Amino acid sequence: MENEEEAEALSSNPTREALDLDPALQKKRQTMLERLSNRHQTRTDSSLTRRSAESDSASSPSFESTSTFLSRFSNSKSSIESQLAQCRLSDPTQLKPQLDQISSSISDLEKLVAENSYFLPSYEVRSSLKAVSDLRQSLENLSAELLPKKKFSFRNKGPKKDPIAEPKEKEKEKEPEKSGFRVPASPGIWNKKGETLVHNFKGSEVGEFTISDLDSCEVRLMGSVRALFVHRLRNCKVYTGPVTGSVLIEGVEGCVLVMASHQIRIHNAKRCDFYLRVRSRPIIEDSCEVRFAPYCLSYKGIEEELRETTLDEETENWANVDDFLWLRAVQSPNWSVLPENERVGLIDISNSEEVRPLPVLLVSMCAWSKR
Amino acid sequence: MGLLSIIRKIKRKEKEIRILMVGLDNSGKTTIVLRINGEDTSVVSPTLGFNIKTLTYQKYTLNIWDVGGQKTIRSYWRNYFEQTDGLVWVVDSSDLRRLDDCKMELDNLLKEERLSGSSLLILANKQDIKGSLTPEEIGKVLNLEAMDRTRHWNIVGCSAYTGEGLLEGFDWLVQDIASRIYVLD
Repeated sequence: MENEEEAEALSSNPTREALDLDPALQKKRQTMLERLSNRHQTRTDSSLTRRSAESDSASSPSFESTSTFLSRFSNSKSSIESQLAQCRLSDPTQLKPQLDQISSSISDLEKLVAENSYFLPSYEVRSSLKAVSDLRQSLENLSAELLPKKKFSFRNKGPKKDPIAEPKEKEKEKEPEKSGFRVPASPGIWNKKGETLVHNFKGSEVGEFTISDLDSCEVRLMGSVRALFVHRLRNCKVYTGPVTGSVLIEGVEGCVLVMASHQIRIHNAKRCDFYLRVRSRPIIEDSCEVRFAPYCLSYKGIEEELRETTLDEETENWANVDDFLWLRAVQSPNWSVLPENERVGLIDISNSEEVRPLPVLLVSMCAWSKR
Repeated sequence: MGLLSIIRKIKRKEKEIRILMVGLDNSGKTTIVLRINGEDTSVVSPTLGFNIKTLTYQKYTLNIWDVGGQKTIRSYWRNYFEQTDGLVWVVDSSDLRRLDDCKMELDNLLKEERLSGSSLLILANKQDIKGSLTPEEIGKVLNLEAMDRTRHWNIVGCSAYTGEGLLEGFDWLVQDIASRIYVLD
Protein backbone atom coordinates (compact mmCIF):
# COMPACT_ATOMS: atom_id res chain seq x y z
CA MET A 1 0.00 0.00 0.00
CA GLU A 2 2.57 2.47 1.16
CA ASN A 3 4.70 1.63 -1.80
CA GLU A 4 1.95 2.72 -4.11
CA GLU A 5 1.69 5.92 -2.20
CA GLU A 6 5.40 6.48 -2.60
CA ALA A 7 5.21 5.63 -6.26
CA GLU A 8 2.46 8.15 -6.56
CA ALA A 9 4.55 10.71 -4.75
CA LEU A 10 7.51 10.04 -7.03
CA SER A 11 5.46 9.98 -10.18
CA SER A 12 4.17 13.39 -9.23
CA ASN A 13 7.68 14.74 -9.83
CA PRO A 14 6.96 16.30 -13.23
CA THR A 15 4.34 18.53 -11.69
CA ARG A 16 6.64 19.34 -8.78
CA GLU A 17 8.20 22.44 -10.30
CA ALA A 18 4.77 23.91 -10.82
CA LEU A 19 3.95 23.38 -7.21
CA ASP A 20 7.32 24.56 -5.98
CA LEU A 21 6.13 27.94 -5.03
CA ASP A 22 3.33 26.70 -2.85
CA PRO A 23 4.82 26.63 0.64
CA ALA A 24 2.18 24.27 1.97
CA LEU A 25 2.86 21.82 -0.79
CA GLN A 26 6.58 22.25 -0.35
CA LYS A 27 6.28 21.38 3.29
CA LYS A 28 4.23 18.38 2.45
CA ARG A 29 6.85 17.30 -0.04
CA GLN A 30 9.57 17.71 2.56
CA THR A 31 7.86 15.39 5.00
CA MET A 32 7.22 12.94 2.22
CA LEU A 33 10.94 12.83 1.36
CA GLU A 34 11.79 12.30 5.00
CA ARG A 35 9.32 9.49 5.25
CA LEU A 36 10.79 7.94 2.14
CA SER A 37 14.34 8.02 3.34
CA ASN A 38 13.30 6.68 6.73
CA ARG A 39 11.45 3.85 5.10
CA HIS A 40 14.42 3.08 2.95
CA GLN A 41 16.64 3.06 6.00
CA THR A 42 14.45 0.65 7.92
CA ARG A 43 14.10 -1.54 4.88
CA THR A 44 17.84 -1.91 4.41
CA ASP A 45 18.30 -2.35 8.15
CA SER A 46 15.76 -5.09 8.42
CA SER A 47 17.13 -6.89 5.40
CA LEU A 48 20.59 -6.72 6.96
CA THR A 49 19.37 -8.17 10.23
CA ARG A 50 17.46 -10.82 8.36
CA ARG A 51 20.59 -11.79 6.51
CA SER A 52 22.70 -11.93 9.65
CA ALA A 53 20.00 -13.94 11.39
CA GLU A 54 20.22 -16.37 8.55
CA SER A 55 23.95 -16.76 8.92
CA ASP A 56 23.51 -17.20 12.69
CA SER A 57 21.19 -20.06 12.08
CA ALA A 58 24.00 -21.80 10.25
CA SER A 59 25.85 -22.36 13.51
CA SER A 60 22.81 -23.28 15.57
CA PRO A 61 20.62 -24.68 12.94
CA SER A 62 16.91 -24.91 13.35
CA PHE A 63 14.95 -23.59 10.43
CA GLU A 64 11.73 -25.45 10.90
CA SER A 65 11.50 -25.73 7.18
CA THR A 66 12.22 -28.90 5.33
CA SER A 67 13.41 -27.23 2.18
CA THR A 68 15.87 -24.95 3.99
CA PHE A 69 17.20 -27.93 5.85
CA LEU A 70 17.55 -29.96 2.70
CA SER A 71 19.40 -27.28 0.82
CA ARG A 72 21.69 -26.71 3.74
CA PHE A 73 22.27 -30.41 4.16
CA SER A 74 23.09 -30.97 0.53
CA ASN A 75 25.47 -28.01 0.59
CA SER A 76 27.51 -29.43 3.48
CA LYS A 77 27.32 -32.86 1.99
CA SER A 78 28.77 -31.81 -1.32
CA SER A 79 31.44 -29.74 0.40
CA ILE A 80 32.49 -32.79 2.43
CA GLU A 81 32.50 -34.90 -0.70
CA SER A 82 34.75 -32.47 -2.49
CA GLN A 83 37.08 -32.37 0.54
CA LEU A 84 37.25 -36.14 0.46
CA ALA A 85 38.16 -36.05 -3.18
CA GLN A 86 40.85 -33.46 -2.50
CA CYS A 87 42.47 -35.67 0.12
CA ARG A 88 43.67 -38.05 -2.52
CA LEU A 89 45.75 -35.34 -4.10
CA SER A 90 47.12 -33.72 -1.00
CA ASP A 91 50.43 -34.03 0.78
CA PRO A 92 50.56 -37.18 2.94
CA THR A 93 51.93 -35.28 5.95
CA GLN A 94 48.87 -33.04 5.92
CA LEU A 95 46.54 -35.95 5.53
CA LYS A 96 45.93 -36.74 9.16
CA PRO A 97 44.65 -33.28 10.21
CA GLN A 98 42.69 -33.08 6.99
CA LEU A 99 40.93 -36.36 7.64
CA ASP A 100 40.26 -35.30 11.22
CA GLN A 101 38.75 -32.11 9.91
CA ILE A 102 36.48 -34.02 7.55
CA SER A 103 35.48 -36.38 10.29
CA SER A 104 34.43 -33.46 12.46
CA SER A 105 32.43 -31.91 9.64
CA ILE A 106 30.63 -35.21 9.20
CA SER A 107 29.85 -35.17 12.90
CA ASP A 108 28.52 -31.63 12.53
CA LEU A 109 26.33 -32.76 9.69
CA GLU A 110 25.01 -35.60 11.77
CA LYS A 111 24.29 -33.16 14.56
CA LEU A 112 22.44 -30.96 12.11
CA VAL A 113 20.19 -33.87 11.18
CA ALA A 114 19.63 -34.70 14.83
CA GLU A 115 18.73 -31.14 15.77
CA ASN A 116 16.21 -30.83 12.99
CA SER A 117 14.78 -34.28 13.14
CA TYR A 118 11.80 -33.15 15.21
CA PHE A 119 10.12 -31.36 12.34
CA LEU A 120 11.47 -33.32 9.38
CA PRO A 121 9.39 -36.00 7.70
CA SER A 122 10.69 -39.38 8.71
CA TYR A 123 11.70 -40.18 5.16
CA GLU A 124 14.04 -37.17 5.11
CA VAL A 125 15.52 -38.12 8.49
CA ARG A 126 16.21 -41.61 7.28
CA SER A 127 17.72 -40.60 3.98
CA SER A 128 19.86 -37.90 5.62
CA LEU A 129 21.19 -40.33 8.21
CA LYS A 130 21.91 -42.79 5.45
CA ALA A 131 23.84 -40.10 3.59
CA VAL A 132 25.82 -39.30 6.76
CA SER A 133 26.73 -42.90 7.31
CA ASP A 134 27.72 -43.26 3.66
CA LEU A 135 29.99 -40.26 4.03
CA ARG A 136 31.51 -41.73 7.13
CA GLN A 137 32.05 -45.01 5.38
CA SER A 138 33.79 -43.39 2.47
CA LEU A 139 35.96 -41.43 4.90
CA GLU A 140 36.94 -44.68 6.60
CA ASN A 141 37.68 -46.32 3.30
CA LEU A 142 39.76 -43.39 2.26
CA SER A 143 41.76 -43.24 5.48
CA ALA A 144 42.29 -46.99 5.40
CA GLU A 145 43.58 -46.59 1.90
CA LEU A 146 45.76 -43.55 2.45
CA LEU A 147 46.78 -44.13 6.06
CA PRO A 148 46.61 -47.91 6.25
CA LYS A 149 47.63 -48.20 9.88
CA LYS A 150 44.90 -45.90 11.07
CA LYS A 151 42.03 -48.26 10.89
CA PHE A 152 43.74 -51.61 11.11
CA SER A 153 46.38 -50.63 13.61
CA PHE A 154 45.45 -53.42 15.98
CA ARG A 155 46.03 -56.23 13.58
CA ASN A 156 48.73 -54.77 11.46
CA LYS A 157 50.92 -53.81 14.37
CA GLY A 158 51.61 -57.40 15.26
CA PRO A 159 52.89 -59.12 12.18
CA LYS A 160 53.79 -56.14 10.07
CA LYS A 161 55.10 -53.22 12.00
CA ASP A 162 56.86 -54.91 14.87
CA PRO A 163 59.76 -56.74 13.32
CA ILE A 164 60.79 -53.78 11.23
CA ALA A 165 59.95 -50.57 12.98
CA GLU A 166 59.53 -51.25 16.65
CA PRO A 167 62.67 -53.16 17.56
CA LYS A 168 64.68 -50.39 15.98
CA GLU A 169 62.90 -47.76 18.01
CA LYS A 170 63.24 -49.85 21.08
CA GLU A 171 66.95 -50.31 20.67
CA LYS A 172 67.50 -46.69 19.94
CA GLU A 173 65.70 -45.73 23.08
CA LYS A 174 67.07 -48.43 25.26
CA GLU A 175 70.71 -48.16 24.53
CA PRO A 176 71.29 -44.85 26.20
CA GLU A 177 69.07 -45.90 29.09
CA LYS A 178 70.90 -49.11 29.65
CA SER A 179 74.30 -47.51 29.71
CA GLY A 180 72.83 -44.75 31.85
CA PHE A 181 71.33 -47.01 34.49
CA ARG A 182 73.14 -50.23 34.52
CA VAL A 183 76.77 -49.46 35.06
CA PRO A 184 76.42 -47.37 38.19
CA ALA A 185 73.32 -49.12 39.47
CA SER A 186 74.37 -52.72 39.63
CA PRO A 187 77.38 -53.75 41.68
CA GLY A 188 79.01 -56.93 40.49
CA ILE A 189 81.85 -58.76 38.81
CA TRP A 190 82.11 -58.83 35.02
CA ASN A 191 84.35 -60.18 32.28
CA LYS A 192 87.20 -61.87 34.13
CA LYS A 193 89.34 -64.80 33.25
CA GLY A 194 91.42 -67.00 35.52
CA GLU A 195 91.13 -64.81 38.64
CA THR A 196 90.17 -65.25 42.25
CA LEU A 197 87.66 -62.58 43.20
CA VAL A 198 86.85 -61.96 46.85
CA HIS A 199 84.15 -59.64 48.19
CA ASN A 200 83.24 -59.17 51.80
CA PHE A 201 79.93 -57.40 52.29
CA LYS A 202 80.01 -57.60 56.05
CA GLY A 203 78.53 -54.45 57.58
CA SER A 204 77.55 -52.87 54.32
CA GLU A 205 74.08 -52.88 52.87
CA VAL A 206 74.17 -54.61 49.52
CA GLY A 207 71.13 -54.81 47.31
CA GLU A 208 71.49 -56.82 44.19
CA PHE A 209 74.82 -58.25 43.05
CA THR A 210 75.69 -59.62 39.63
CA ILE A 211 78.33 -62.15 38.60
CA SER A 212 78.55 -62.21 34.84
CA ASP A 213 80.75 -63.43 31.98
CA LEU A 214 83.51 -65.16 33.90
CA ASP A 215 85.81 -67.86 32.67
CA SER A 216 87.83 -70.12 34.97
CA CYS A 217 87.44 -67.86 38.00
CA GLU A 218 86.85 -68.41 41.65
CA VAL A 219 84.36 -66.06 43.32
CA ARG A 220 84.04 -65.77 47.07
CA LEU A 221 81.27 -63.59 48.46
CA MET A 222 81.09 -63.21 52.24
CA GLY A 223 78.28 -61.44 54.04
CA SER A 224 74.72 -61.36 52.84
CA VAL A 225 73.17 -59.73 49.79
CA ARG A 226 69.50 -59.22 48.92
CA ALA A 227 69.49 -60.63 45.41
CA LEU A 228 72.10 -62.42 43.33
CA PHE A 229 72.23 -62.75 39.55
CA VAL A 230 74.64 -65.25 37.98
CA HIS A 231 75.02 -65.10 34.24
CA ARG A 232 77.28 -66.85 31.71
CA LEU A 233 80.00 -68.58 33.69
CA ARG A 234 82.36 -71.25 32.42
CA ASN A 235 84.48 -73.49 34.59
CA CYS A 236 84.05 -71.30 37.64
CA LYS A 237 83.70 -71.86 41.34
CA VAL A 238 81.27 -69.62 43.18
CA TYR A 239 80.96 -69.56 46.96
CA THR A 240 78.41 -67.24 48.50
CA GLY A 241 77.09 -66.37 51.91
CA PRO A 242 73.36 -66.08 52.47
CA VAL A 243 71.16 -64.37 49.89
CA THR A 244 68.07 -62.94 51.59
CA GLY A 245 65.92 -62.86 48.47
CA SER A 246 66.47 -64.95 45.42
CA VAL A 247 69.26 -66.25 43.21
CA LEU A 248 68.79 -66.32 39.46
CA ILE A 249 71.30 -68.35 37.52
CA GLU A 250 71.40 -68.40 33.75
CA GLY A 251 73.89 -70.00 31.42
CA VAL A 252 76.51 -71.79 33.52
CA GLU A 253 78.70 -74.63 32.33
CA GLY A 254 81.23 -76.81 34.10
CA CYS A 255 80.84 -74.86 37.35
CA VAL A 256 80.60 -75.55 41.05
CA LEU A 257 78.24 -73.25 42.92
CA VAL A 258 77.84 -73.19 46.68
CA MET A 259 74.98 -70.94 47.77
CA ALA A 260 72.32 -70.34 50.40
CA SER A 261 69.13 -68.48 49.53
CA HIS A 262 65.39 -68.29 49.96
CA GLN A 263 64.77 -69.03 46.29
CA ILE A 264 67.04 -70.45 43.60
CA ARG A 265 66.23 -70.64 39.91
CA ILE A 266 68.64 -72.30 37.51
CA HIS A 267 68.37 -71.85 33.73
CA ASN A 268 70.57 -73.28 30.98
CA ALA A 269 73.01 -75.04 33.26
CA LYS A 270 75.18 -77.82 31.94
CA ARG A 271 77.51 -80.13 33.82
CA CYS A 272 77.34 -78.21 37.08
CA ASP A 273 77.35 -79.14 40.73
CA PHE A 274 75.20 -77.13 43.12
CA TYR A 275 75.68 -77.21 46.87
CA LEU A 276 72.57 -75.50 48.14
CA ARG A 277 70.64 -74.47 51.16
CA VAL A 278 67.19 -73.24 50.09
CA ARG A 279 64.04 -72.37 51.99
CA SER A 280 61.91 -73.30 48.99
CA ARG A 281 62.26 -75.81 46.20
CA PRO A 282 65.05 -75.02 43.73
CA ILE A 283 64.07 -75.21 40.09
CA ILE A 284 65.92 -75.99 36.89
CA GLU A 285 64.88 -75.15 33.36
CA ASP A 286 66.65 -76.04 30.10
CA SER A 287 69.41 -77.68 32.08
CA CYS A 288 71.15 -81.01 31.94
CA GLU A 289 73.76 -83.01 33.83
CA VAL A 290 73.32 -80.93 36.93
CA ARG A 291 73.86 -82.43 40.37
CA PHE A 292 72.79 -81.29 43.80
CA ALA A 293 74.22 -81.58 47.28
CA PRO A 294 73.81 -79.77 50.63
CA TYR A 295 75.46 -76.43 51.40
CA CYS A 296 78.99 -76.74 52.69
CA LEU A 297 80.48 -73.27 53.14
CA SER A 298 82.22 -71.85 56.14
CA TYR A 299 83.81 -68.53 57.01
CA LYS A 300 84.06 -66.45 60.12
CA GLY A 301 80.60 -65.21 61.10
CA ILE A 302 78.62 -67.28 58.61
CA GLU A 303 76.57 -69.00 61.32
CA GLU A 304 75.29 -65.67 62.57
CA GLU A 305 74.52 -64.44 59.06
CA LEU A 306 72.61 -67.60 58.27
CA ARG A 307 70.62 -67.20 61.48
CA GLU A 308 69.80 -63.59 60.72
CA THR A 309 68.51 -64.51 57.31
CA THR A 310 66.63 -67.57 58.60
CA LEU A 311 68.80 -69.85 56.54
CA ASP A 312 70.40 -71.60 59.51
CA GLU A 313 68.10 -74.57 59.38
CA GLU A 314 68.76 -77.41 56.92
CA THR A 315 65.49 -77.93 55.10
CA GLU A 316 66.74 -80.73 52.83
CA ASN A 317 65.19 -78.78 49.98
CA TRP A 318 68.43 -79.01 48.03
CA ALA A 319 67.19 -82.41 46.89
CA ASN A 320 63.62 -81.28 46.05
CA VAL A 321 64.41 -79.97 42.63
CA ASP A 322 61.60 -79.08 40.22
CA ASP A 323 62.48 -79.49 36.57
CA PHE A 324 60.20 -77.32 34.46
CA LEU A 325 60.93 -79.41 31.43
CA TRP A 326 60.12 -82.66 33.14
CA LEU A 327 56.59 -82.54 34.48
CA ARG A 328 56.23 -86.24 35.19
CA ALA A 329 56.23 -88.29 38.32
CA VAL A 330 59.41 -90.18 37.49
CA GLN A 331 62.78 -88.66 38.27
CA SER A 332 63.99 -86.12 35.72
CA PRO A 333 66.98 -87.27 33.70
CA ASN A 334 68.37 -83.75 33.77
CA TRP A 335 69.45 -83.68 37.40
CA SER A 336 70.63 -86.03 40.12
CA VAL A 337 71.78 -86.06 43.70
CA LEU A 338 75.54 -85.79 43.86
CA PRO A 339 76.86 -89.04 45.40
CA GLU A 340 78.35 -88.45 48.83
CA ASN A 341 81.76 -89.78 47.92
CA GLU A 342 82.02 -87.24 45.11
CA ARG A 343 81.09 -84.23 47.19
CA VAL A 344 83.67 -81.70 48.29
CA GLY A 345 84.02 -81.45 52.02
CA LEU A 346 83.38 -78.31 54.07
CA ILE A 347 84.83 -75.35 52.23
CA ASP A 348 86.32 -72.70 54.45
CA ILE A 349 86.95 -69.38 52.77
CA SER A 350 87.76 -67.35 55.91
CA ASN A 351 91.32 -67.29 54.83
CA SER A 352 92.27 -67.32 51.21
CA GLU A 353 95.22 -69.66 51.71
CA GLU A 354 93.04 -72.23 53.36
CA VAL A 355 90.62 -72.57 50.48
CA ARG A 356 90.96 -75.97 48.93
CA PRO A 357 90.98 -75.58 45.19
CA LEU A 358 88.13 -77.50 43.65
CA PRO A 359 89.11 -79.63 40.70
CA VAL A 360 86.61 -78.30 38.20
CA LEU A 361 87.95 -80.52 35.46
CA LEU A 362 87.60 -83.56 37.63
CA VAL A 363 84.00 -82.65 38.39
CA SER A 364 83.12 -82.45 34.76
CA MET A 365 84.96 -85.67 34.05
CA CYS A 366 82.93 -87.38 36.74
CA ALA A 367 79.80 -86.10 35.15
CA TRP A 368 80.87 -87.44 31.81
CA SER A 369 81.98 -90.83 33.07
CA LYS A 370 78.65 -91.30 34.84
CA ARG A 371 76.75 -91.12 31.59
CA MET B 1 12.41 -52.41 34.45
CA GLY B 2 14.53 -52.66 31.38
CA LEU B 3 16.80 -55.55 30.58
CA LEU B 4 19.87 -53.38 31.04
CA SER B 5 18.96 -52.44 34.56
CA ILE B 6 18.33 -56.09 35.42
CA ILE B 7 21.75 -57.03 34.12
CA ARG B 8 23.32 -54.19 36.03
CA LYS B 9 21.64 -55.35 39.21
CA ILE B 10 22.92 -58.87 38.81
CA LYS B 11 26.44 -57.63 38.13
CA ARG B 12 26.27 -55.36 41.12
CA LYS B 13 25.27 -58.22 43.35
CA GLU B 14 28.18 -60.40 42.32
CA LYS B 15 30.89 -57.74 42.38
CA GLU B 16 33.44 -60.23 41.24
CA ILE B 17 36.67 -59.15 39.65
CA ARG B 18 39.05 -61.47 37.91
CA ILE B 19 42.70 -60.50 38.04
CA LEU B 20 45.56 -62.16 36.19
CA MET B 21 49.07 -61.80 37.61
CA VAL B 22 51.84 -62.30 35.12
CA GLY B 23 55.46 -61.31 34.66
CA LEU B 24 58.86 -62.90 34.25
CA ASP B 25 59.97 -65.59 36.67
CA ASN B 26 61.55 -64.29 39.87
CA SER B 27 59.54 -61.05 39.73
CA GLY B 28 57.64 -61.84 42.93
CA LYS B 29 54.09 -62.57 41.76
CA THR B 30 53.34 -65.29 44.27
CA THR B 31 54.90 -63.34 47.12
CA ILE B 32 52.74 -60.32 46.26
CA VAL B 33 49.57 -62.40 46.28
CA LEU B 34 50.51 -64.01 49.59
CA ARG B 35 51.39 -60.62 51.05
CA ILE B 36 48.11 -58.93 50.16
CA ASN B 37 46.30 -61.95 51.49
CA GLY B 38 48.21 -61.65 54.76
CA GLU B 39 49.93 -65.00 54.48
CA ASP B 40 53.42 -66.14 55.38
CA THR B 41 55.90 -65.23 52.65
CA SER B 42 59.03 -66.74 54.12
CA VAL B 43 58.84 -69.93 52.06
CA VAL B 44 57.75 -69.41 48.47
CA SER B 45 58.74 -71.91 45.82
CA PRO B 46 58.85 -70.93 42.16
CA THR B 47 55.38 -71.51 40.76
CA LEU B 48 55.06 -74.61 38.65
CA GLY B 49 51.64 -74.03 37.13
CA PHE B 50 49.36 -71.53 38.84
CA ASN B 51 47.69 -70.54 42.11
CA ILE B 52 44.24 -69.05 42.57
CA LYS B 53 43.44 -66.84 45.54
CA THR B 54 40.00 -65.52 46.27
CA LEU B 55 39.91 -62.61 48.61
CA THR B 56 37.56 -59.87 49.60
CA TYR B 57 38.83 -56.42 48.89
CA GLN B 58 36.66 -53.48 49.85
CA LYS B 59 33.22 -54.63 48.68
CA TYR B 60 34.54 -56.75 45.84
CA THR B 61 35.54 -60.35 45.52
CA LEU B 62 38.86 -60.65 43.79
CA ASN B 63 39.79 -63.85 42.03
CA ILE B 64 43.51 -63.60 41.58
CA TRP B 65 45.16 -65.97 39.15
CA ASP B 66 48.87 -66.14 39.82
CA VAL B 67 50.49 -67.87 36.87
CA GLY B 68 54.09 -69.12 36.86
CA GLY B 69 56.55 -67.02 34.88
CA GLN B 70 59.28 -69.49 33.91
CA LYS B 71 60.09 -69.40 30.25
CA THR B 72 58.78 -72.88 29.52
CA ILE B 73 55.35 -72.14 30.96
CA ARG B 74 54.84 -68.61 29.60
CA SER B 75 53.17 -70.06 26.54
CA TYR B 76 50.37 -71.26 28.81
CA TRP B 77 49.52 -67.73 29.96
CA ARG B 78 47.04 -67.39 27.17
CA ASN B 79 44.90 -70.11 28.70
CA TYR B 80 44.05 -67.62 31.44
CA PHE B 81 43.19 -64.58 29.31
CA GLU B 82 39.48 -65.19 29.01
CA GLN B 83 37.30 -62.82 31.04
CA THR B 84 40.22 -61.11 32.70
CA ASP B 85 39.13 -57.75 34.14
CA GLY B 86 42.51 -56.68 35.42
CA LEU B 87 46.02 -57.52 34.40
CA VAL B 88 48.89 -57.15 36.86
CA TRP B 89 52.31 -57.13 35.25
CA VAL B 90 55.00 -57.62 37.86
CA VAL B 91 58.53 -56.39 37.20
CA ASP B 92 61.63 -57.26 39.18
CA SER B 93 63.07 -53.74 39.38
CA SER B 94 66.45 -55.09 40.47
CA ASP B 95 66.86 -57.40 37.48
CA LEU B 96 68.37 -54.94 35.05
CA ARG B 97 69.68 -57.51 32.66
CA ARG B 98 66.30 -58.94 31.75
CA LEU B 99 64.39 -55.68 31.31
CA ASP B 100 64.53 -56.25 27.55
CA ASP B 101 62.88 -59.64 28.01
CA CYS B 102 60.39 -58.04 30.30
CA LYS B 103 59.44 -55.42 27.74
CA MET B 104 59.18 -57.97 24.99
CA GLU B 105 56.90 -60.26 26.97
CA LEU B 106 54.70 -57.35 28.02
CA ASP B 107 54.42 -56.08 24.46
CA ASN B 108 53.40 -59.56 23.32
CA LEU B 109 50.81 -59.77 26.03
CA LEU B 110 49.24 -56.44 25.19
CA LYS B 111 48.74 -57.48 21.59
CA GLU B 112 46.34 -60.12 22.84
CA GLU B 113 42.84 -59.18 21.79
CA ARG B 114 41.20 -60.98 24.68
CA LEU B 115 43.05 -58.68 27.07
CA SER B 116 42.35 -55.49 25.19
CA GLY B 117 39.60 -54.40 27.54
CA SER B 118 41.36 -55.13 30.81
CA SER B 119 42.97 -52.54 33.04
CA LEU B 120 46.72 -52.86 33.38
CA LEU B 121 48.59 -52.38 36.65
CA ILE B 122 52.36 -52.53 36.44
CA LEU B 123 54.01 -53.27 39.75
CA ALA B 124 57.66 -52.25 39.88
CA ASN B 125 58.44 -54.75 42.61
CA LYS B 126 61.48 -55.09 44.87
CA GLN B 127 61.78 -51.37 45.50
CA ASP B 128 63.28 -52.28 48.89
CA ILE B 129 66.40 -53.67 47.21
CA LYS B 130 69.17 -51.13 46.92
CA GLY B 131 70.03 -50.41 43.29
CA SER B 132 66.52 -51.10 41.98
CA LEU B 133 65.16 -48.87 39.26
CA THR B 134 62.41 -46.47 40.27
CA PRO B 135 58.90 -46.89 38.81
CA GLU B 136 59.56 -43.87 36.57
CA GLU B 137 62.69 -45.50 35.17
CA ILE B 138 60.88 -48.80 34.67
CA GLY B 139 58.11 -46.91 32.89
CA LYS B 140 60.66 -45.38 30.56
CA VAL B 141 62.36 -48.69 29.81
CA LEU B 142 59.03 -50.36 29.10
CA ASN B 143 58.03 -47.34 27.00
CA LEU B 144 54.62 -47.20 28.64
CA GLU B 145 53.79 -43.79 27.23
CA ALA B 146 53.61 -45.35 23.79
CA MET B 147 50.85 -47.68 24.84
CA ASP B 148 47.53 -47.78 23.05
CA ARG B 149 45.46 -44.81 24.24
CA THR B 150 42.40 -46.86 25.01
CA ARG B 151 44.23 -48.88 27.66
CA HIS B 152 43.70 -47.95 31.29
CA TRP B 153 47.07 -48.39 32.94
CA ASN B 154 49.11 -47.34 35.93
CA ILE B 155 52.55 -48.08 37.28
CA VAL B 156 53.22 -48.31 40.99
CA GLY B 157 56.43 -49.05 42.83
CA CYS B 158 56.09 -51.69 45.51
CA SER B 159 57.83 -54.21 47.68
CA ALA B 160 56.30 -57.59 48.34
CA TYR B 161 58.95 -57.94 51.05
CA THR B 162 57.77 -54.93 53.08
CA GLY B 163 54.25 -54.70 51.65
CA GLU B 164 54.79 -51.11 50.60
CA GLY B 165 52.87 -49.87 47.56
CA LEU B 166 50.73 -52.99 47.15
CA LEU B 167 47.56 -51.45 48.54
CA GLU B 168 48.00 -48.34 46.45
CA GLY B 169 48.36 -50.45 43.32
CA PHE B 170 45.41 -52.72 44.00
CA ASP B 171 43.25 -49.79 45.10
CA TRP B 172 43.77 -48.20 41.73
CA LEU B 173 43.15 -51.44 39.87
CA VAL B 174 39.94 -52.29 41.69
CA GLN B 175 38.59 -48.75 41.41
CA ASP B 176 39.38 -48.61 37.73
CA ILE B 177 37.74 -51.94 37.00
CA ALA B 178 34.76 -51.19 39.21
CA SER B 179 34.06 -47.89 37.54
CA ARG B 180 34.25 -49.61 34.19
CA ILE B 181 32.19 -52.69 34.87
CA TYR B 182 29.94 -51.88 37.76
CA VAL B 183 27.81 -48.85 38.00
CA LEU B 184 29.03 -47.00 41.06
CA ASP B 185 26.35 -46.71 43.70
